[in-house]
Amino acid sequence: MTPYRRCVPSLAPLIPHVVSVVVLCIVFASISYVGSAFSRTEAPDFVTFVMSGLSRTVNAQDTQSPTQGLVRKGKVPVSNEILKIKLPKLSEATLPNGLRILVLEDHRLPQIAFQLLVPGAGGYLDPADQPGLAGFTATLMREGTPTRTSSQIARELEIMAATLNVSAGSSPEAIVSGSCLSEHAARLIDLAADVLLHPSFPDEEVARFKQRTRGTLAQQRANANFLAAEMFSQAVYGEHPAARIGPTQAALDRLKRDDLVEFHRAHYLPDRAVLAIAGDVSMLQARLVAQAKLGGWAKPAASTAMLVPEPAPVETSKMYFVGRPGSVQTTFIVGSQAIERTSPDYDVLEVMNKIVGGGPMGRLFLHLREEKGYTYGASSALDARQHRGDWSASTNVRTDVTEPALRDLLEELRQIREVPVGDQELADAKRSMIASFALSLESPAQLLNLALTQWRYKLPADYWERYAERVMAVTKEQIQAAARQYLAQDRLQIVVVGDPTRALEPLQKLGPVDVYDTNGQRIDARK
Amino acid sequence: MVRAAIHRLFPAAVIAALTGASLAAVTAPTVKFTDTKLNNGLRVIISEDHVAPVFSVVLVYNVGSRDERIGRTGFAHLFEHMMFKGSDNVGPGEHFYTIFANGGTMNGTTNKERTVYFETMPANQLDAALFLEADRMRSLAIIKENLDNQRNAVQEERRLRLDNQPYGRADEAMDELAFDNFAYKHSVIGSMSDLNAASVEDVAAFFKTYYAPNNAIIAIAGDVNSAATLERVRRHFESIPSQPSPPAVEIGQPAQDKERRLTVDDPLARLARIDIGYRIPSSLSADNDTFDVLTEILAGGRSGRFYEHIVREKQLALSVRAFAGNSRGPRLLGIEATLAPGTALDKLEEAIYSDIDGVKAGPIADAEIEKARNVTRRRFMGSLATSLSLARTMAEDALYYGDPGRINTRWERLSKFSAADVQRVAREYLIPGNRTVVITQPRPAGGAATGGAR
Repeated sequence: MTPYRRCVPSLAPLIPHVVSVVVLCIVFASISYVGSAFSRTEAPDFVTFVMSGLSRTVNAQDTQSPTQGLVRKGKVPVSNEILKIKLPKLSEATLPNGLRILVLEDHRLPQIAFQLLVPGAGGYLDPADQPGLAGFTATLMREGTPTRTSSQIARELEIMAATLNVSAGSSPEAIVSGSCLSEHAARLIDLAADVLLHPSFPDEEVARFKQRTRGTLAQQRANANFLAAEMFSQAVYGEHPAARIGPTQAALDRLKRDDLVEFHRAHYLPDRAVLAIAGDVSMLQARLVAQAKLGGWAKPAASTAMLVPEPAPVETSKMYFVGRPGSVQTTFIVGSQAIERTSPDYDVLEVMNKIVGGGPMGRLFLHLREEKGYTYGASSALDARQHRGDWSASTNVRTDVTEPALRDLLEELRQIREVPVGDQELADAKRSMIASFALSLESPAQLLNLALTQWRYKLPADYWERYAERVMAVTKEQIQAAARQYLAQDRLQIVVVGDPTRALEPLQKLGPVDVYDTNGQRIDARK
Repeated sequence: MVRAAIHRLFPAAVIAALTGASLAAVTAPTVKFTDTKLNNGLRVIISEDHVAPVFSVVLVYNVGSRDERIGRTGFAHLFEHMMFKGSDNVGPGEHFYTIFANGGTMNGTTNKERTVYFETMPANQLDAALFLEADRMRSLAIIKENLDNQRNAVQEERRLRLDNQPYGRADEAMDELAFDNFAYKHSVIGSMSDLNAASVEDVAAFFKTYYAPNNAIIAIAGDVNSAATLERVRRHFESIPSQPSPPAVEIGQPAQDKERRLTVDDPLARLARIDIGYRIPSSLSADNDTFDVLTEILAGGRSGRFYEHIVREKQLALSVRAFAGNSRGPRLLGIEATLAPGTALDKLEEAIYSDIDGVKAGPIADAEIEKARNVTRRRFMGSLATSLSLARTMAEDALYYGDPGRINTRWERLSKFSAADVQRVAREYLIPGNRTVVITQPRPAGGAATGGAR
């Protein structure tokens, strides 16, 4: 969880990491909307990147940097002060059945949004022979209860213009989330509780779902970014459940109503769950409604311990290619298994990531896009969880620059390992991370996410209050050491999706490549 | 004090809801703002609100792909990229680097009608944001090297969004076939060959004509002082000279007389898709809100008629969407449906027309109208939720409707939605002779194809 706000992609391809149901889809005017100078992919720069002129008084000496991606004239009248901000306090309470309640009051607008996290009901808990069962269960919970049919649920929600989603993706937890005008809050919680506690999984709805999902699974294999993400997670996580980013057709075919009923019974338990609400509501109201609607959610006899195993370390670097006939771009994801969210290296890796690829300030963006013009965007991301997550860099480039783009991307990783970052670049990255906290004060949902991160990973109560202090303490030596450890050449997994007749051969010059088709079938690479 | 005003209003809204009083009884919230025209023609809208230590600046230039000429499609959007490559006092990349390095966020976006630039920053950086926007309006660096670099980035954007995506060609094919007016017929992203043809001279002429202060609106919302901010805007912008007005855009086109139809082969798609576009009047028409209600009734969520009948009951499609974009000229009410595996395209198309006929024949339930009202209310909340959404809404309303305060009349307008109006516009515009149909058929790529679902 970083406080950095990413640019919202206007038409970014949807990568279905989780099976979820969007109940209300507000369609924004869009037929002619093209898009933005920057998009979901964001990114970084270059080695000898000398930047200067933080303040106006020091501008003249570095009007040129070695990359053409960025030239700082240093004349912009920026304030050097970083606004001190105070995060609002949340109220917390616990119901007798163990359900934790967090409330962030925000009465600016008459609406609320909530998230109910149910640890133990996510995709990691899929039975070994039924990958995707957690996701199927979550999606189908909305499809009927003893008192409401699927259509009645949809109508009841949508007449309020409310949303209600249940999802369980590649993580230990399922999430029930929703939003509405505050005048409808009690009605929405009533409906959410019915869906959460009494799903009936009607046979007819299961059959419809299987039919519909068959098409969706076929559809996503047309998307290059999906194919890359699927291959990358398998490369980095191996047999670990984090390797699965979606269900398989075979598991869908085997799905039976009884499996859903049993998964729901065994995994949707209140004692480790949290209900977080932000908006026009008080703790008193929230508790009353939660006790009335969720007080009867039965606590298990014994507390359910949940272990998230660590993925096996990946000891060797490998290159994977997915042949996508007709592709006019080559899609890259390059990265490695990294750290868990509670690792002492977390803040260091966040700062390193910011410098390498955290947005348009990052080296990858400035180098691959602003200097070379290979791509519309290039960025990197740190995904740290209960277990070791991953760090990855990604970009889409035109097919004929497949080889130089990969060389430049790998060169950036070599640079961050071998050359200490510049003082100014480090100061800018830290400043960006800390100063952007002010923007989260406009967004109750973002503030709630900070609180949920703290709750989920059992971070200290003053974790966010001390965030700036920890970020400021990160040194260039620590960054280089972290890069050498986590971005070491022999840990890197390189995943490439592109046209098999044009993008494969340049890769084979760099080393051995395992070749797959778009259905995930291995193809003999030697022919 | 925008959000504070709404807070005071809220108890009244709750009481109204609890007692079943009609929506019209609710007092509409009022967004306070100032609206000033500088001597050089720049329109300045400021809305002060101290709820968070943050402000947003939005600049809307009245230029979009509709202003492009033949042989230069994609130019307005390519130009948007040039706006980040530097000006007299700002180096290439320094604009966005400065904003992000100081905790802000920014972007730019282009459509047929307009180009928008925006940034949100911590409250102490207002001067930096105004300086950056003014410097590029005054003195954009127009050199070939920057143009070539961003031409590449834009061509990759085209590949990323269109050429490398399943169904990437469908929207473009629809506009080309449905419109007879050049301004609206071509895509915003433009053709690869036109992007290649763009020259430095084109950039310079375009800049002078369209990026003049008299062709722009600036809106600032958030934690600012209105009077002091207006003074700062004057200091940064008022000395930028105005230019003669750009040529008016020809928006007329002959009436359509019969259905148009096209099939596109797509090697990347795995399932067929049908896109249907009906010509409807511009966003400035009195029926603008009614088209939003119509699309909500047809395609709003899972209780919309398309989902209920076509996706759920008949299982002919994976999804069916409907939408009407904003346009001061020609536009379409678009419908887009992805065929479910193993079903027939003609059955899907028939089912869509059958639901449209259902709206025309009636009845429309009160619940459907109430749903459309609540959706509009929540969208309205959304436009007030952040300084950026408020500034964008006001700036764009000023451009489209000449009225930045239009946000304040939305509640009144939405209380007037009626079933009869919805049926009237459906009967008038959603007719066979007024539609264009584009079918995308998956076509396996050459020898290396590996199969998969059809």
